[in-house]
Amino acid sequence: MKILVVDDFSTMRRIVRNLLVELGFSSALIQEADDGESALTMLRAQSFDLVVTDWNMPNMTGIDLLRAIRAEGALKALPVLMVTAENNRDQIIAAAQAGVNGYVVKPFTAVTLKEKLTKIFERIAASGASA
Amino acid sequence: MNMSVSNPLAGDDVLPAELRELLNSPDGAAFEQALDVMVRQREQRLFRALGQLARDLHNAVRRLGGELSQDGLPDMVADARQHLQEALEMSGNAAHRSIDFAERMLPQADELANNAGEVLKWTEGNEAAAILARHALEFATDCRDGLSDLMLAQSWQDLTGQRIKKVSSFIGTVESSMLELVRLTGALAGSEVPVSVERVTSQEDADRLLSEFGF
Repeated sequence: MKILVVDDFSTMRRIVRNLLVELGFSSALIQEADDGESALTMLRAQSFDLVVTDWNMPNMTGIDLLRAIRAEGALKALPVLMVTAENNRDQIIAAAQAGVNGYVVKPFTAVTLKEKLTKIFERIAASGASA
Repeated sequence: MNMSVSNPLAGDDVLPAELRELLNSPDGAAFEQALDVMVRQREQRLFRALGQLARDLHNAVRRLGGELSQDGLPDMVADARQHLQEALEMSGNAAHRSIDFAERMLPQADELANNAGEVLKWTEGNEAAAILARHALEFATDCRDGLSDLMLAQSWQDLTGQRIKKVSSFIGTVESSMLELVRLTGALAGSEVPVSVERVTSQEDADRLLSEFGF
């Protein structure tokens, strides 16, 4: 499974990558971007199966990246998990309305990340089976 | 309602009495004249209060401008930003070092756990070896969990770093607001003031300007 980890902090990208590896994903298939803009360029250039993105980033924020993904025909079905310190109600609602697949509030644990990822893949499998 | 009580600008007690007297008088011209006098007196009090306010504001901004030009606001702000940037980099490096350590040790803990597990299978009849292998397995598993927690705990750097970035951007906003305030009052000595903004650089200038408005 090809995953794109988007965060402006290299420490956080590394932490998320390590957690994903711990959860059984292949490190070689995980790529990183430091803002929404570069993430979008990478998403257009190659195919990914999952995006794990932060909210607060320069140039293009996570919510704008999510909206751009949902607005683009080739990308709109891509699962997006938000991992962010933004935990106010309005922002969570905004993310839900923009079509986020999961929302993890920082600081988080490996268990939470696993739980949200499992839910995302379960829902995708369910919608795929019912389609 | 007696306005002179609630309005500090209308403190003249003589006028309302005069006005009351005039209200009963049949002389319309005298009434209007008295009214004009009252309005003018009130206007003058208002202008004096505004003048005082303008002088106080001017003095405050002039002081600020003087202090900022002496210490150099752009340098001070650049230094403050630089310090924040350094704190961000130092904390980032420290977090990366901790993650380096966890990444280096995690495979070793995994390997020790696996080896201890293997050895445990061959310790039948050798209790001492079995105890050692079990201890090694427990230790390796605990290390694994601990190292994983240690790595996750480094997300403090992202959380504090985001706040540092916000403070840095706030300093930028304060800087431009202060410069704009000083620019508008023309009080920053030695600075370029656009032609559209009239320059007022001294108390004399301010007094002259204010005097033109009758203060």
